[in-house]
Amino acid sequence: MKVLEAIAFFGVEIVFFLLVFLFLVFEKTLSIFGALAALVALSLLVGRFPVLHQFLKRGFSAYKIPSILLGLLFILVLPILLKERPYHIFILFNAGLFALLALGLNWQIGSTNIVNFATGASFATGAYTAALLAVHLEWPFWVLLPISGLAAATIGFILGLPCMKTKTYYLSLVTMAFTIIVYLILNNLDFTGGPDGISGIPFPSLGFHSFGSPIRLWGLEIPFQANFYYLVVVLVAITFLVDQRFRYSRIGLAWNAIRNDEIAASCQGIDILYYKVLSFSANFFFDGISGALFAFSMGHISPESFSFNVSVTVVAIVIVGGLDNPVGVLLGSFLMIIIPEKFQVFQDYRMLIFGLIILLMLRLRPKGLFPPSVRTYG
Amino acid sequence: MSLNGPILKTERLTITFGGLCAVDQVDFEVGRGEMVGLIGPNGSGKSTFFNLITGIYRPTSGTILFEGENLVGQKPHEIARKGIARTFQNNRLFSDISVLDNIILGMHAHQTSGLFDTFFRYRNVKAELKTGAQEAMELLSFFSRELQESCLKRVMDLPHADRRRVEICRALAAKPKLLLLDEPAGGMSPEETEELMQDIRKVKETRRDLSLVVIEHDMAVIEKIAQRVYVFNYGKKIAEGPFSLISKDPKVIEAYLGEEGEDAAA
Repeated sequence: MKVLEAIAFFGVEIVFFLLVFLFLVFEKTLSIFGALAALVALSLLVGRFPVLHQFLKRGFSAYKIPSILLGLLFILVLPILLKERPYHIFILFNAGLFALLALGLNWQIGSTNIVNFATGASFATGAYTAALLAVHLEWPFWVLLPISGLAAATIGFILGLPCMKTKTYYLSLVTMAFTIIVYLILNNLDFTGGPDGISGIPFPSLGFHSFGSPIRLWGLEIPFQANFYYLVVVLVAITFLVDQRFRYSRIGLAWNAIRNDEIAASCQGIDILYYKVLSFSANFFFDGISGALFAFSMGHISPESFSFNVSVTVVAIVIVGGLDNPVGVLLGSFLMIIIPEKFQVFQDYRMLIFGLIILLMLRLRPKGLFPPSVRTYG
Repeated sequence: MSLNGPILKTERLTITFGGLCAVDQVDFEVGRGEMVGLIGPNGSGKSTFFNLITGIYRPTSGTILFEGENLVGQKPHEIARKGIARTFQNNRLFSDISVLDNIILGMHAHQTSGLFDTFFRYRNVKAELKTGAQEAMELLSFFSRELQESCLKRVMDLPHADRRRVEICRALAAKPKLLLLDEPAGGMSPEETEELMQDIRKVKETRRDLSLVVIEHDMAVIEKIAQRVYVFNYGKKIAEGPFSLISKDPKVIEAYLGEEGEDAAA
C-alpha cells in the first residue's frame, strides 16, 4: 500500500512537470491551450477534492527531500531539454526575474498589506546603478549585484519614510507617482542616456566562463541564455529562503499583525514605523538585484523597460499567485510571464488574455492559487 | 492605595475633540494589585480614557503617571513595552492568522530577536518562538481546553466568546503590570460572562501583583470583581469608591436612569 502511495505521489509530481514541459515546447495554439487546460484542471481537481489535497500533503511530508530533489532536477535539466529553443530559456529567465520582484513585493502586499506600486522604480534603480557603474567604471557584475540591491534598498528607505504618513489607497497613489516620476527622470536626464538608455553593458563572467558563451558539457551545447537562467534560479532560491526566515520569525509575525490592525499591533509593543520601513527596504533590495541582473542580461537598458506596467504586472502576479504564500507567488510569476509569451498568436490581444486570467482568478480563487499557510511551532 | 504608591495615576486628564470634551479633568488612581471598575453610560468617555492611557490619543492637557513616569507624548508601542496591556471594546484581534500567532504576538514586547538573529543566529529566533508557543498553550489551557485544541485555527473562524478569551490571553501574554479590559464580557451570554469572571479571578489569584481596570456595563459583574469603582458621565468623573457606596449615590443613579430636568443638565 505504502509503495503504491509513493508511486502515485511521484506520479502526480511527474505528470505536473511533464505538463509544464509540454506547455513550454508546444507551438500550436491549440496544443498550448490543451496543456494549460490540463494544468489548470489538475490544480482545480486538487482544490475541489480535499482527499486529493490531503493525499498530496501526506506524500510531500513523507517524501519531502526526494520530491524537492526531483523538482530541482527538473529545473536543472530544463535548459538541456530546451537547448534547441533558446528563446524559451530566455522567457523562463524572465519569469525568474519577475519571481524575484514578486517574492519581495509579497512581503508588502501579502504580509503587511502595503499595496506598493513602486516596483518599476526600484527595478530601475537596480538596473541603472548596475549599468552606469559597469559602463563608466567597469565594476564587475558580482560586486554590482549586491551594490544595486543596496542602492535600491536605500531608495526604498527614503521612499518608505514619507509613505508612512499615508495609508491604504493614498499610500498606493504615492508609490504610483514615484514610479512615474522615476520613469520621467530617466527619460530626461542626460547621464542616464535619456530615452535611448545605456548600452554596452558587458556580459558577466564566472572565472574564465563568459555568460555570453554557451555552456559545453559532456558534448552537449546549451545556449548562453542558460547561464542567466541558472543564475536566476539560484537567486530565486536564496530569496525564497530569506522569505522563509522572515515568515517564521518575529518580523513576519509583526508584519501580519500590522496587516490586520495597526492600532492593536502597536498596543502589543510593535513599532509600526520600523517594520513598515523594513518591508520597504527588504522588498527594494531584491528588486535592485533583479534590476542589475536584467541590465546585464540585456546588455542594453532604456526607460521603456521600467514603466508603470512593470509595477502592475508584479502586483498582478502576487494577487493571482496567492497573497502571503511564496509558493503561490512563484507559480504566479511562471504563469503570468510565460502565458502571454506563449500566446504570441494573439499578440494584439495579449493584455485582454491577461485581464481575463485575473478576472477568472478573482471569480474562482479570490485568495489566489495558494492561500497562506498556518505557522506551526514544532 | 498600596504602600508603594499607585501604579497608575492621572491628574486632571483632559481631551477635547473639536468642541466636545470627551474626557474632562479626570483624576484616577490604581493601586498595585488592585482591581478597579470603570462604569458609566454609553459615550461617557470610558474607552477614550483607555485610549489616552495607551497612547492612541494624546491628551489635550493633564498627566498620566505610570510608576511615577509621565506617559504623555509617548507612542503606543513604547507604552506597551512599559507593561500596560489592554483589550478593545470591539475585539481587535489579528483575525486572519492563528490563535497561537495572536498570543505569541502579545509577547512581542518581551521578545528580543531582531533582524540580525533572523539571518545569522536563526537558532535564537526558533527557540524564542518555541518557548512563546509553549507559554501560549499554557495560557490557553487556563481558559479552556477546547480553546487550546483550536490553537491553529484562524481567529476569524472562532465563535464570539472564544475571540474575547483569546484577546484576554493575548493581553496576558505580555505579562503586564497593568491590564485594561474594555467590556471583556461584551456580547457574551450570562453563562459565558459568569465563566469569564471566574477565569479573571483565577488569573488574579496566580498573578497577585497584576493591577486591573475593567470597563463594564453589567453592574452585577462589576460588583463581583471590582474592589473600587469609578463612574464617568459626559467625560467627567462623577463618583468613586467601593461598589456598595457607589450604587447608592444619587448622582450615579441619575446618570444611569436619567433625570427629570435632562435638558438643564445638558
